[in-house]
Amino acid sequence: MRNGIYEDISLILRRARMSFLVVGVALLLLVLYLWKMQILDYKKYWEMSEANRIREVILPPQRGLIKDRRGKVLATNIAAFQAAVVREESLNLEDSYLQITELLEMDAEVIRERVEKYRSFPVFHPIIIKDNLDDEEVAKIESRRREFPELIVQAKPKRSYPNATFAAHVLGYLQEISPQEIRQGTFGGRGLGDLVGRTGIEREYDSELVGASGRDLEIVESTGRYKETILREVPVDGVDIQLTLDSRLQAKAEEILEGREGAVVVMDTRNGQVLALASFPTFDPNKFINRFTPEEWMDLINNPSHPLENRAMRGLYSPGSIFKLVMALAALETNLITEHTSYYCSGSIRIYNHPFHCWFAGGHGQMDLPQAIRNSCNIYFYQLGKQLGIETIAEYARKLGLGELTSIDLKGEYAGLVPDRDWKRRVRNAPWYPGETISVSIGQGPLLVTPLQIATMTATLANRGNRVQPHLLLEEDERLSLQSSTGIGVSSANIEKVIQGMWMSVNEAGAARAARVVGMDVCGTTGSTQLVSRKTAEKLGESRRETKTHSWFTGFAPRTDSRVAVTVIVEYGGMGGATAAPVARELFRLYQELLNHD
Amino acid sequence: MIDRTLLRHIDWILVFLLLLNSLIGVAFIYSSSHYLPGNYHMRQLFWIGVSLIALFLFLSIDYHHLLALSPYFYGVCLLLLVGVLVFGSIVSGAKSWFRLPFFQIQPSEITKIAVILVLASFFSKFRRNTLSFVEGMMSAGIVLLPAALVTMQPDLGTALSYMPILLATMLLAGLGRRMVILILAVSLILGVVGWNFMLKDYQKQRITTLLYPDQDPLGSGYQIMQSKIAVGSGGLFGKGFKKGTQSQLRFLPARHTDFVFSVIGEEVGFTGIILVLGAYFLLLLRLFQSVEKSRDRAGVYLCFLVAFLITSQAFINILMTVGLFPVAGIPLPLLSYGGSSLLTNYLAVSLVINVKMRRFVNI
Repeated sequence: MRNGIYEDISLILRRARMSFLVVGVALLLLVLYLWKMQILDYKKYWEMSEANRIREVILPPQRGLIKDRRGKVLATNIAAFQAAVVREESLNLEDSYLQITELLEMDAEVIRERVEKYRSFPVFHPIIIKDNLDDEEVAKIESRRREFPELIVQAKPKRSYPNATFAAHVLGYLQEISPQEIRQGTFGGRGLGDLVGRTGIEREYDSELVGASGRDLEIVESTGRYKETILREVPVDGVDIQLTLDSRLQAKAEEILEGREGAVVVMDTRNGQVLALASFPTFDPNKFINRFTPEEWMDLINNPSHPLENRAMRGLYSPGSIFKLVMALAALETNLITEHTSYYCSGSIRIYNHPFHCWFAGGHGQMDLPQAIRNSCNIYFYQLGKQLGIETIAEYARKLGLGELTSIDLKGEYAGLVPDRDWKRRVRNAPWYPGETISVSIGQGPLLVTPLQIATMTATLANRGNRVQPHLLLEEDERLSLQSSTGIGVSSANIEKVIQGMWMSVNEAGAARAARVVGMDVCGTTGSTQLVSRKTAEKLGESRRETKTHSWFTGFAPRTDSRVAVTVIVEYGGMGGATAAPVARELFRLYQELLNHD
Repeated sequence: MIDRTLLRHIDWILVFLLLLNSLIGVAFIYSSSHYLPGNYHMRQLFWIGVSLIALFLFLSIDYHHLLALSPYFYGVCLLLLVGVLVFGSIVSGAKSWFRLPFFQIQPSEITKIAVILVLASFFSKFRRNTLSFVEGMMSAGIVLLPAALVTMQPDLGTALSYMPILLATMLLAGLGRRMVILILAVSLILGVVGWNFMLKDYQKQRITTLLYPDQDPLGSGYQIMQSKIAVGSGGLFGKGFKKGTQSQLRFLPARHTDFVFSVIGEEVGFTGIILVLGAYFLLLLRLFQSVEKSRDRAGVYLCFLVAFLITSQAFINILMTVGLFPVAGIPLPLLSYGGSSLLTNYLAVSLVINVKMRRFVNI
C-alpha cells in the first residue's frame, strides 16, 4: 500500500477549510457591494445609462496624393457628402425608408437593400445610402434633422483626378471592393463600400495610399444634441506618392496620340525612370468615382478599341523591323558575321523554295551590317536568321528582355512571346518549320512584345548592355541605385556596331530619318508590322484599315552618355518612318528643350 | 479501462453543477452577442460538448499516473508557450493563440492544469508543517516560469491568474513567519521593478485608472465606467433578458467574454445575480468539500488548487467588472465565452472528480 488513507493529512485539511471560510466572507462582501451598486446607487447609474446615448462618427482618412516628379498633383481628394442611416435612431425602419424615399428621391428598395447589407453591424453604425449629395440635398437633410434623427450627413473626401484623362493608365482607377475580395482579404481589413485601387498606381501602391479611418464616439442627449466626445481615434492619412513621370513629356505624348490608337514610353536610360507612359484611347478615372450611367459603362467596356487597356504594357504587338537589332546582335555575338560582312539585296530571295520579299521592291544592292540596319533591309536579316536558327535567336531575344516581364511597378503587365521549338511543341503540338525562322528574323511570326519591353531593350542598348529596371515610383531610385544596372552578358563592342546602324538610320537618311533632331544625336530604328499578307492586302484594297501596318519607332539619345529612350507605336499608322518616327522626334525635341530649360 | 465500481463513484452532482453554470453562461453569451455575426452561443455549446467528453476521457486515467507523468505535461506546455511566441497569431495585441483551421487555441490556459499537477506531485511527498526556503523557491519557480513566458506574449492578465495557484500551494504547505516576510519583500521589489521597467504604458494606465477613473474617460476608464453603469442600472430586477439597452456596452469589445458579468448584472438585476452567484457558490462549495474526500496528500493538493484557481479567477473577473480591480483580461470561468478557458476548467474539475472517485480504491 502506497501513501494510503493512513497518511495524516488533517493539518492541510484544516488549512483548506480556513481558506474556504475566507472565500465565503469575500463572497458576502461582494454581494454587499453589489447591493450598494444595484439597490442604493441604482438611481444614479440608471440616470447615467439613460442620459448617455452614443453616436459613432467615422472619420475617413485622406487617400495619399499622387504627384509627378516635379510635384504637380495628378490625383487628389475633394470634399463630398454622403447620406447615412443610423438604425438606432429610427422608431420604425420601414417608415424611415418611405420618408427618406421622398426626401432624397430614391427608391425605397435601394435603401432597404443597402441597410440590409450591414445588418450585422452595431445599430449605431451609420450606413451610407447615397454618395455625392448635392448642396440642395445636404440642406434638406440638415434642416429636417429633428424630424429624421436617423438620417445624417457625413463628409468624406472623394478621390479626384484634376486633369481627367491625363496619365489615366498610369494612375489607374478606384472601384468599390467586391464581396469576394473582402472574403479573401485581398485588401486587408477593408469592408463593404470601401473604394480600392483597381489598376495602375492606385492598385500597385494601394496599401500605402489608403491610410486608416478613425472614429469619434459622441455622447448625445436624447434630443440628439451633441454633448461630448468620449473617444476619438484619429484617422491616419495615406502616404503621398511621387512618380517619375514628367507631366510635360506626358502631356506631349498624349497630345500627339490623341485621336489614334497606340502607346508611347519615354524612359530615362540612366536609371529606368519612366518619364512618360501614354496609351490611347483613354478614359476618365473620375467616372469610376462618380458612378457611371449604365450606357456610359456599356460604351466603355464594349468599345472595340479597349480604352481601359494600358497598351504600353498590355498591348501585344509583333516587333517588326525593330527585331533586326536583336538579330544583328545575335549574329555578331555568335561570330557569324562581323560588321563588314555584306549580303546582296535584289528585292526578294528564295529560301526553302519559297519567295521572301524585301519591303523595298527595287532592292538595296550590296551592303554591310550598319547599312542593313540603316535601310532596315529584310533580305540581309533573312540570311542571318537562316544561319542562326530559332534557338539562338530566342536566346538573344530573352537576353534583351523580350518574352519576360519588365517587372515595372504596375500590375497586369504582359510578358509577350518569344517562340522556339519547345514552345511550338507544347502549345501548338507541331514541329518548328524552318520557314518560320525566316519570318521571325524580321520580327513577324508568333513573336509578340509590349512597347514597354521595347523601351527597356532600347535603354539596355543605350547603356551598352547594362539593363536598368523600369519604374514609376520616384522613391524606388535609392533602392534601385544600390543594385544599379545589371549586365546582360553581351559585349559592348558588338552593341556599338548595332548602334552605328541605328545612328545612320536616323542621321544618314535611313528609315528612321524623320526622328532626327539637330544637336541630339538620336539613334533609332523603325518597324512596320504587317497584319495581313501582301496578297490579302491587295485583295482588300486600300480602304480597309487592316491593310495598313502598325507603325513602330524606338530609339535613344544622345549616342554617347545617353539620357533618354523613346518608344512609339501607332496602330494602323502605316510605315514606321512615316508615322511613329515623327512622333518620337517631337518628344526628343521637347526633352532637349526641357533639359536646356531646367 | 474504467471499473464499473469507479463509475458509481463519479460525483454526478459536481458534473451537474458544472453544466448548470456553463448553460447559464451560454444564455448570457447569446443575449450579448446574438446580433453579431459569429454564432458565439452555438460555438460555446459545441465547446461544452467537447469539454464534457474530454472530462470523462481524462477520468479514465488514475490521477496517480497523471502525477507521475506531470513533468512531461509541464515540459510540453512550456514548449507550446515558447512555440506560440514564435508561431502564434496575434489576437487583440497579444501573441497567445495557435490558429487552427476551425478555431484557435490558447496554450496559456491549458498550462494551468500542468502547473497544478506538477505542484501536487511535488508536495505529495512533503510532510513537514511549514515550507522551507528551498521548497518555496522551487514551487515559485514552477509557477513563474510559464507565467514569465505568458507575460512575454504579452498577456499580463493570464500570467497573473497563475499566481493564485502559487498562493494556494503555499497556504496549504504552511507558511512560517520568515517565509511570509520574504514573500512580502519579494512582492514589493517585483512590484517596484515591474512598475518602472516591465509594465507597458497601457497596463500602468489600467491600474491608475482604477484609482482615478475620472482621469481617463476615453480608454480603459471608459470600459470600467460603462461596465459599472451596466451593473448599477440593472437595479433589483434588471432590464430583462436580451433587453440590456445599455447601448454603451456595445463598445465593450469583450462583453460576451470578459464582461459577461456586466451583462448579467444589467439584464437580471440584483435578484438574478444572487441566483447566478448562488449556483456558482454551490459549485465552489462542492469543489472545496471535495478536498475532504481525498485519500492522500496529492489528492488534497489537486482538489484545493483547482477549487482555489476557479474561485480566484471568478473573483478577479467580477471585481474587474464592478470597477474594483484593473481590467486584466481574465474571463469568468464557465460563464465567459471561450473554448480554451472552458476546456481548462472542465479538465480541472475532472481532476477533482478523479480524486474523489478513487478514494476507496486500494492499489
